[in-house]
Amino acid sequence: MAQGPIRAQRQSQGSERDQADLAPVGQAKAQANISQSDQALDAVLDDIESVLETNAEDYVKSFVQQGGQ
Amino acid sequence: MPQLRDSGNHGSQAGLGPSSGLAGFSRIFGIETEYGVSLTGSEQPVEAGEVAMAMFTPVLARSRSTNTYLPNGARLYLDVGSHPEYATAEAADPLDALAQDLAGEAIMRRLALEAQGGLQERYGDQARIHVYKNNVDSAGHSFGCHENYLVRRFVPLPTIEAQLLPFLISRQILTGAGRMTGQGLVVTQRAKFLDEAISSATTRSRPMVNTRDEPHADPDEFRRLHVIIGDSNRSQFAAFMKTATTHLVLCVIEEAARLGVPSGLEACALADPMAANRALSGDLTCTTARFRLADGRGQTSAVELQERYLAVAGDFVSTHEEAMAASLPSSDCQTILKEWSKSLEAIRSGHMSDLTNRLDWLAKDRLMAGIKSRHPAISPTKLKALDLDYHDLANGSIYHSMVRHGVMVTLLDRDTVDQCVDHPPANTRAALRGAFVNKAQELAASFSCDWTHLQVSSPRKREVLLLDPFDSRPNPDYLKLMQALGEEGPAAHQAL
Repeated sequence: MAQGPIRAQRQSQGSERDQADLAPVGQAKAQANISQSDQALDAVLDDIESVLETNAEDYVKSFVQQGGQ
Repeated sequence: MPQLRDSGNHGSQAGLGPSSGLAGFSRIFGIETEYGVSLTGSEQPVEAGEVAMAMFTPVLARSRSTNTYLPNGARLYLDVGSHPEYATAEAADPLDALAQDLAGEAIMRRLALEAQGGLQERYGDQARIHVYKNNVDSAGHSFGCHENYLVRRFVPLPTIEAQLLPFLISRQILTGAGRMTGQGLVVTQRAKFLDEAISSATTRSRPMVNTRDEPHADPDEFRRLHVIIGDSNRSQFAAFMKTATTHLVLCVIEEAARLGVPSGLEACALADPMAANRALSGDLTCTTARFRLADGRGQTSAVELQERYLAVAGDFVSTHEEAMAASLPSSDCQTILKEWSKSLEAIRSGHMSDLTNRLDWLAKDRLMAGIKSRHPAISPTKLKALDLDYHDLANGSIYHSMVRHGVMVTLLDRDTVDQCVDHPPANTRAALRGAFVNKAQELAASFSCDWTHLQVSSPRKREVLLLDPFDSRPNPDYLKLMQALGEEGPAAHQAL
């Protein structure tokens, strides 16, 4: 699979922000990026509210097994 | 580990020249991941062993063993302590290794969800299976993600270990998967357990470079570097950079050994690697904790060490451009260096927020901060549960949600990964093994194999040795074996 340079996957939903580019950006764009990014995190936090409702003690305690090699 | 044969037939025998990979900087990469398993939602506690066996029922039914090779060239087996383990097919490039590792995730997920039905019948419909791609369970037992790199034999083992160890410790600022402890987030999953690994490496009781195991290649030419100091990553960027940057560093070390000159990495040796490792994991700035350099040369920090390795690797690539480009069929050295540099720059300048979408530990850090601002009184146990969910391939929601909303970048698309579930890399020995296993399974023929041998068992034993992991070409013996496969099984009696 000769793919050439690595490319960050573009997400079809949500923000179209180019995530591979870390170069410094202008102030306005930076602000826009930050609020888009905060919105995206909020969406994740909304999604996982149900995870918070599970019994964390039982969930955590159930994962015990002997060490590997 | 599989029963390994003595590779007594060296490539240096008459008629066989040096393997195709010896010159230059080509490398074979392999990633082995041990997974953790659990079942929740059942009235009675269910042992990991039972969950793992439920997952492996179809594997056992097909191959009468919990140790099997797959049509994509990978090895799938049930390891010590009931850890399902997946060892990728040989890859010639870090990006291919990533794709094959992601195929392993998909296979584990599928096995888990298939087993869930049966487990629900036994334990109630609230039962949920979990397959964790991480390194520590809730009782402090650890298990690994091991990398394999073929390195040229002319590099002395002590040299590899001395020059690579500070790199492996410091790279964790990029590759650490992070872990929620009772006192908050630490950078690496395995800090405490790495103490033992590092100690063993430095005292050679369990060396980082495995000389007892076969290299699965011509032992006159190569060693297999078996790196046990690494976290299991969900982030594709982190997983890629882990093997990609290690490759660059190994090239530097190999060339210096080839020419009998210093590599420039000698100055990185640490006075106390274990202390450095512990300090690193507790330092979320990556710049504050100071580590003493060996031989009284002063102090350094994690990011400074990484900058040193980057600088040496960068110089090396610029003076060996063609050979380095040739060493990576699917990736680009310039891109690797650029991403490495940007990542370190972000850390150096304190702009960690630039990296929350590509480093596991920073993604978790941001997530936890977001959770705490919504739920200020949230308990440490709940945060640990979220940490585990992040690594759960079967029923986890967090990572998947992050990818869907663009909060975490990925490098490879779904189609590429799906391809790798069924197909080995085309440019390594795995292509031959994969095709062999695929045909044998289709014909329900009895066969066995390991990394260097393919064997048909009935009506009489017939075997082919594949010593060169860089060679994907079917040789006459292989072709005869494939033909014999067609003649052995039940299909011999059917029209093909």
